[in-house]
Amino acid sequence: LLFLQRVLLLVASDVDALCACKILQALFQCDHVQYTLVPVSGWQELETAFLEHKDQFKYFVLINCGANVDLLEILQPEEDTLFFVCDSHRPINVVNVYNDTQIKLLVKQDDDLDVPAYDDIFRDEEDEEEDSENESDGSEPSEKRRCFEEDVIERTMKRRQRREWEARRREILFDYEQYEYHGTSSAMVMFDLAWIMSKDLNDMLWWAIVGLTDQWVQDKITQMKYVTDIGILQRHVSRHNHRNEDEENSLSIDCMRIAFEYDLRLALYQHWSLYESLCNTSYTSASLKLWSVQGQKRLQEFLADMGLPLKQVKQKFNSMDMSLKENLREMIEESANKFGMKDLRVQTFSIHFGFKNKFSASDIVYATVSLMENIEKEGPETTNFIKALDSLSRGNLDKLHQGLDLAKKQLRAIQQTVASCICTNLVISQGPFLYCCLMEGTPDVKLFSKPVSLCLLSKYLLKSFVCSTKNKRCKLLPLIMAGPMDVERGTVIMVGIPPETESSDKKNFFGRAFEKAADSTNSRTLHNHFDMSIIELKTEDRSKFLDALISLLS
Amino acid sequence: NDHSERMKKFKNKGKDAAALRRQRAEVNIELRKAKKDEQILKRRSISFSLMDESLSPGEDKRNEIIQLSLEEIVQAVNGSNTELQLQATQATRRMLSRQKDPPINQIIELGIIPRLVEFLTRADNAPLQFEAAWALTNIASGTSDHTKAVVEGGAIPAFISLLSSPHMHISEQSVWALGNIAGDGPLYRDALINCNVIPPLLALVVLLLPHLLLHEDLTPPLFQVGFLRNITWTLSNLCRNKNPYPPLDAVKKMLPVLICLMEHEDKDIISDSCWAISYLTDGSNDRIQIVVDTGILPRLVELMASPELIVMTPALRAIGNVVTGTDEQTQAAIDAGVLAVLPCLLRHVKPTIQKEAAWTLSNIAAGPCRQIQQLITCGLLPPLVELLDKGDFKAQKEAVWAVANFTTGGTVEQVVELVQSGVLKPLLNLLLAKDSKTILVILDTISNLFLAAEKLGETERLCLLVEELDGLEKIEALQTHDNNMVYRAALTIIEKYFSGE
Repeated sequence: LLFLQRVLLLVASDVDALCACKILQALFQCDHVQYTLVPVSGWQELETAFLEHKDQFKYFVLINCGANVDLLEILQPEEDTLFFVCDSHRPINVVNVYNDTQIKLLVKQDDDLDVPAYDDIFRDEEDEEEDSENESDGSEPSEKRRCFEEDVIERTMKRRQRREWEARRREILFDYEQYEYHGTSSAMVMFDLAWIMSKDLNDMLWWAIVGLTDQWVQDKITQMKYVTDIGILQRHVSRHNHRNEDEENSLSIDCMRIAFEYDLRLALYQHWSLYESLCNTSYTSASLKLWSVQGQKRLQEFLADMGLPLKQVKQKFNSMDMSLKENLREMIEESANKFGMKDLRVQTFSIHFGFKNKFSASDIVYATVSLMENIEKEGPETTNFIKALDSLSRGNLDKLHQGLDLAKKQLRAIQQTVASCICTNLVISQGPFLYCCLMEGTPDVKLFSKPVSLCLLSKYLLKSFVCSTKNKRCKLLPLIMAGPMDVERGTVIMVGIPPETESSDKKNFFGRAFEKAADSTNSRTLHNHFDMSIIELKTEDRSKFLDALISLLS
Repeated sequence: NDHSERMKKFKNKGKDAAALRRQRAEVNIELRKAKKDEQILKRRSISFSLMDESLSPGEDKRNEIIQLSLEEIVQAVNGSNTELQLQATQATRRMLSRQKDPPINQIIELGIIPRLVEFLTRADNAPLQFEAAWALTNIASGTSDHTKAVVEGGAIPAFISLLSSPHMHISEQSVWALGNIAGDGPLYRDALINCNVIPPLLALVVLLLPHLLLHEDLTPPLFQVGFLRNITWTLSNLCRNKNPYPPLDAVKKMLPVLICLMEHEDKDIISDSCWAISYLTDGSNDRIQIVVDTGILPRLVELMASPELIVMTPALRAIGNVVTGTDEQTQAAIDAGVLAVLPCLLRHVKPTIQKEAAWTLSNIAAGPCRQIQQLITCGLLPPLVELLDKGDFKAQKEAVWAVANFTTGGTVEQVVELVQSGVLKPLLNLLLAKDSKTILVILDTISNLFLAAEKLGETERLCLLVEELDGLEKIEALQTHDNNMVYRAALTIIEKYFSGE
């Protein structure tokens, strides 16, 4: 990655992208590469940003956007424009994969992409080239030509072969493009790059960790993948942080240290009260069914089982008795097992800034998401993005704390909405999928017009629903969630998520399904988000769109 | 007058160069053919079973290739058992389509050609017709003697009537065979034309051109493209060769169809139709005029700018031929926009393209001064000087001609413009070339420059300029050149302009 020219950096609005961006920015600074950063929240913004800058820039870096569409087709760049694409969206568009002149994909080598073989999808052009290969030197045609077996085969077989081949190609591409999923976190890919160039720093490593944790919090990758990647990062962590082990007490205030931990899967608990965290963490809330009276009772029993006084549990975690905190993790885990919560401990990392500040990787994810999707307007569109980006730097603790406060609000809002949806039976089975629609006027509905927040809500709701329903079939269904997007323009935002099962491969077929349903009904939809399973559509078109989806997926 | 006399001479000189060029092209083809054979050899493992099943239903399905001795072949071919006839013909075809040393002579010596030709007429036995057509195609693809054997066996009328066979593959095979016969030379080309080969060929094109198709399923596009490529190639062979040119009325019949084919999307079809046009323009001015009259020049100029070498090359050749014609014909090419495309071609990476482009430019520069003016206005001088300075040597030689023609026909002002564009330095550098013809042309050009300088009273300045650019040194050195004419031309310049000091 050696740039002589100014680079345009186009970054999607998700935490992993922000982290990858931070790493790249640090690398650029290191190599004195000049760049301009433009946040893009969807395809429209990406196109506009490209059009605005295409005359001044030759090099474009795309982070967490661009891989899953034919970039050359939608952007129509000049021939000397070069795109570097670092994007966890899968499947990668085949044209992007096989274009080696204008599109450079940054992908981890061991990522299994399952891309169809070139010959299976591009035979067309290749064949023509082969045909003309003999004459590409532009010399005069020969006066006489002998007719070989191959010539005749070509003539008689081409027609049938061609048809068969095209049918096969459609099938292969259908299989390949059917499911949307996510590959290795872009922050990790970027860190890998830094590492290969021997320019990796502890800060970069932390961003890679946050990027991976974002994928986990957002439920974008399988448990397997998460554990594998944690393992990779753990090796880097011990490489970077070993020297501090003996002198833990001599940490200076601006020193940072990363540590691997088996930590509690309780959102923000170190910056909240244990009680609030238990109530607002999807895992505990769904397992204990906290939306019901029995659930609340179960929570009391759970706390009693641990032997934690309610007063201690409800005060700030920081102020809890040290004696209680000492064995807290073990105690909680033990009781949790009795209450059917076997996975309350997870492998993760934490960071220490100096002596006082400690954050878990998921804390950072929640805080950054909340800053990014803050609905209180504070200036132009990009303000939230910049603020979220800044909060990732270690010098910006105030922004981080602001983010943590917002995150608490967000988690509460999600939990309340989940509870009300379940209690009022808003989740309906539509046959091939579950459907839930947020009404206008619901509290916090504005927050859920934002894609990441809506996705989080959907995942939490589905988890809770699966725990609450007795219908076995419904437990295996995916969920479509809709919320008002823009009241004035009369639009809704809709997201589809895969079923919540233990062995879930996190593959999502709603992207294709949305596309087809929109086509067949002429619904006014906008596939603007980089995740194809998020769509915007006119409120009036919603019912026919859903009907089409039902018949399509039945 | 004397002036235009000289101009004509230059045009002819340009054409001589073109003739030489063509010979070289032929050598290239030989090399290319060899390369192609090699490639095909590598790909030969392509399943025969597929083809055998689909094309030769009579053959053993277990794909055992029946080996017949030459004697058995003669017997079977001359016998009356149609099953054996087919087997023998197929065995013959197999031998003739093997990659290495097809036994063409031996097959001819068997004397079975008349019999194979007879098989062509067996409308009730399509497999036999096809195998015979294929075998004869490959015999005709050999030397002139081989082709002669096929023609004397009576194949021409048989193949022509097979053009309208209901079986597409038989019809296509016949097109191929006829192409081989036409490619042999003007004699057989005209024999074919006299047997009325053109109308059924043109009928096939009409049948295959996409915008005339009613049902796409009837002839799927790819099937069609291969067939159409073959027809285009055969048509190009019917336009090919001089002494004599193909008959005028035949040319006039083919031209409209060739022009249609130049609009096709397939680059091989475009390429071969452009080659056909280039053959038709490679002749006397009245032949050129027929092509100009069709209004095809703008399309040719457009194709000259194609990124495909196989399209650009014949289009450039055709336009290059056109500008060897009259001033009016050259003007037609200029009006079609040739001057806008040439700068790019003069800077093309391929030396052959540079050379052809420079050759074309040299003939435009041999025109009247208003055409020279257009050449200046369209910005041709900078790429010309670049080419003279850094181009491929063969291209440089053509560029020298262009400069020479320019200085002969241009006005004094135009010549001044030429010098100001920096032509002198690379021109003088080329005096070091080993080619005495080129040196002579350069010396001639220098004399022309001095004539212009004299008219302006700037002889002194030109002398100084030549000296500063180390030109005098080089001219002086030429006084000891082996070539008498070079030596004398150099001497004349020295005596006339540099003996003062």
